[in-house]
Amino acid sequence: MNKTTTTKSNLRPCTWVWLTLMVLTLAVLTVGQMGLGGVTIVALLLVSTLVKTHIVADYFMGLKQGRLLWRMIIIVYLWIIVSMIGLAYWLGIS
Amino acid sequence: MTQSHTKISQYPPGDFAIWIFIYAELLVFGIFFLSYAFARSQNVELFNESQLNLNRISGAINTLILITSSYFVVRAVAAIRENKSLLCARWLLAAIVLAGAFIGIKLFEFISIYSEGISLSTNTFYMFYLSMTFFHFMHVIMGMVILIAVMLKAKQGGYSNEDHTGVETGASYWHMVDLVWIILFPLVYVMR
Repeated sequence: MNKTTTTKSNLRPCTWVWLTLMVLTLAVLTVGQMGLGGVTIVALLLVSTLVKTHIVADYFMGLKQGRLLWRMIIIVYLWIIVSMIGLAYWLGIS
Repeated sequence: MTQSHTKISQYPPGDFAIWIFIYAELLVFGIFFLSYAFARSQNVELFNESQLNLNRISGAINTLILITSSYFVVRAVAAIRENKSLLCARWLLAAIVLAGAFIGIKLFEFISIYSEGISLSTNTFYMFYLSMTFFHFMHVIMGMVILIAVMLKAKQGGYSNEDHTGVETGASYWHMVDLVWIILFPLVYVMR
């Protein structure tokens, strides 16, 4: 496989990532415009944030192709931040 | 696979120093996010009420802008890997134009808030909202400066498919700016 083909095959998932990010952002906006809130909505928003940041790190930043250590630093960071935000919102509701 | 190629795959794309910077920046933003979330848990009504005053549409448009800008930077990196310097510079220019649009919309948002007499001392919500979004705003400006420098060098043929660490370094920083905003937008503008 030559270099051009390799680059093109690497680009395809990034295009899908871009489209996914756009759709998820519009979904988040819709939730905001409808004024929805509560545990379930916050949980869905946090899962959507986790998915979006994961795919940005893996595909846009290219961490999926590197050593696991550099990817894990970001992944662990994202899980800690999102979980703690979820905990803070749960505390606020309860 | 050459030895140098193996070495590149050992580390994240770009100069390794930028990754130390990125991890440090993520830590700072993380502290901001958690401080906001736990401060909110102490005063949910105030945060929910103040949040209604924000322009969610402009926040969402800025999210779409940053995501697309990040994608254009991905295209720029792909172009230079194919040794297409001019194409790389064009994708970077497109990303820079979108970064400019982000700055314009954010400035409009800041001016609107300020004209309503709102400042850092109005309440805890606005203290967090203004400091977090302004801190991120400064990162967008810095990222834009980096992308402009990389674009100018790419335009002059300063990068090739063999040597394009500078492009990857600028790209990694820009994706970090995008990643942080992806957390910030739902947290401050939407979650209630």
